[in-house]
Amino acid sequence: MKIIVYLLITNKRFIAGVSVFLLIVFIGLIGPLLYPVDPLSFAGPMEMPPCGRYPLGTDTYGRDLLAQILVGTRTSLYIGFLTALIAISMGTIIGASAGIKGGIIDEVLMSITNVVLAIPSILLAILIASYIKVRSIEVIALLLGITGWPWYARAIRAQLMSLREREFVYLSKMAGYRDIELAFKDLLPNIATYTFMAFVLYINGGILSEAGLSIIGVGPTKGISLGLILQWASLMEAVRRGLWWWFVPPGAIITAITSSLMIVSVAMDEIFNPKLRGK
Amino acid sequence: MISRTFIRYVLTKLFFLVVTYLVSITIVFLLPRLIPGNPLAQLLTQLFQQAQTNPETIKEVYRTLMNQFNLDKPLWEQYLDFLIRAIQGDLGTSIAYYPRKVVDLIMPAIPWTLALLVPATLTAWFLGNNLGAIAGYKRNSLFERVVLTTSLVISQIPYYWLAMVLLYVFSVKLGIFPSGGGYSYGSVPSLSLTFIVDFLWHYTLPFLSIVLVSIGGWAIGMRLLVIYELGSDYMIFSESLGIKESKLFSYAFKNSLLPQVTGLALSLGGALGGQLITETVFNYPGTGFVLFRGLSTLDYPMIQGVFIIIVATLFLANFLVDLIYALIDPRIRLGYAQT
Repeated sequence: MKIIVYLLITNKRFIAGVSVFLLIVFIGLIGPLLYPVDPLSFAGPMEMPPCGRYPLGTDTYGRDLLAQILVGTRTSLYIGFLTALIAISMGTIIGASAGIKGGIIDEVLMSITNVVLAIPSILLAILIASYIKVRSIEVIALLLGITGWPWYARAIRAQLMSLREREFVYLSKMAGYRDIELAFKDLLPNIATYTFMAFVLYINGGILSEAGLSIIGVGPTKGISLGLILQWASLMEAVRRGLWWWFVPPGAIITAITSSLMIVSVAMDEIFNPKLRGK
Repeated sequence: MISRTFIRYVLTKLFFLVVTYLVSITIVFLLPRLIPGNPLAQLLTQLFQQAQTNPETIKEVYRTLMNQFNLDKPLWEQYLDFLIRAIQGDLGTSIAYYPRKVVDLIMPAIPWTLALLVPATLTAWFLGNNLGAIAGYKRNSLFERVVLTTSLVISQIPYYWLAMVLLYVFSVKLGIFPSGGGYSYGSVPSLSLTFIVDFLWHYTLPFLSIVLVSIGGWAIGMRLLVIYELGSDYMIFSESLGIKESKLFSYAFKNSLLPQVTGLALSLGGALGGQLITETVFNYPGTGFVLFRGLSTLDYPMIQGVFIIIVATLFLANFLVDLIYALIDPRIRLGYAQT
């Protein structure tokens, strides 16, 4: 355990990734408190470039863009976490049931998984979202979670299948463990790192997909997210009219979140994966 | 020579494809009928509000809608009807572009989307795999660190945002490329040289924004596969025999490429989703743009139509990749595998 912590904190990539990510989480949590400007108030001048009074400028409606970015960062992180939570829970339940029970349950569950996996999740999310008139932030996360679980379910099942053949599992079975005990005591702890890395990737997926849904017009219908800021910018043709301060910061924050998490995940893989270690 | 394993492999894939396609059509059928609040009813109230301006057309649209959704018949009959029509290629009538058929509106956009998707994906696949393989082979070198870190960041940039930034820099600021569209206003699509040049000029930025983002993912995956391959027994044995470096690299490269071919099939869906959104940034006349218009007018037959046609196109593409995989992999082609 000590060795692992040591390996983690001496890994430059891991530290860099974690620092950037924590910084953004900090901005999202504390930022709106430190900069208490109403992000939706039409008080400011129109399309003002960044200046002392408006550090990130204003949009077409005179709204403060820094205030929007701070709240949007918070929302996008929240959507990412919620998406990951839903997708991982569903994936674990379905993948673990298939992997532990085996037989007909396995076949049915895996057929469903493969079918859902074959349909592109973002398209499915767009289709469902178009039918929902009021889309809260939670609804969007739920949507992305229930369209995104299949690959994790499949991965979990594959992991369990290989674990099932190990000696310690046989021993537990001989000791009379029930399936549920087997799942929680022997199997799930063994896939904990893997799950953590999948969780991180799902956060990225959630944030990126939310922005995608927003840009195409089926994002959250209330609140402010980084994706919604991008949508407002593109509705007002901010790019073609050269209002860079409107569309550059939200995408830059998204990229900072997703790439820092990706770097953390790869660094952890280098440390925990025996095939990559010590070469 | 075609083996029995090969035929069985192809048939299994084909069967799965058909089942999944039927499931997607079923989803499209069930969604509007399951979601509370009945979007169709909302659509109709909206139509009635507009009825003052153009009563004749609205009445016509209403009749077609009712007829199309068959809401008065039992559910299974509606479903059967929907399925038969979908298989015959009738995906309904557009509301926003009444009375044009949805299929007629989407089909012209498909070649544009494929013209972007296929070359961009293949270019990214080729470049990414080569970069990743070299990075994996030269582990712990400066080259590896630069490729890995760059790939990690670049692969996580949202496609559509990179599209916006490229558009801003190269079109708005520098004025090198046009600000969007598939070709210049007023020119007619044809195979003349001027049109092709014009097309490529408009094509560059959308193409670049997709290639740049997708290279990273392939490089990351390939690096890992090559590292695994280098750690395998036959590699260590070959190395101890003193086989040339270039030969070792080519062994590792070839064996690592196979999973990347399967990966190509798996990634097409996600790549296409990203591309559809990128198309709207550039006003590129592909299916993404059609979908965007459908979504902004709540033209449900259109949205459904885009979904079904895209899924079908994607499945065909997947099937092709699977077929190529079977031809490349000697275990399937010659029938050594126990599948």
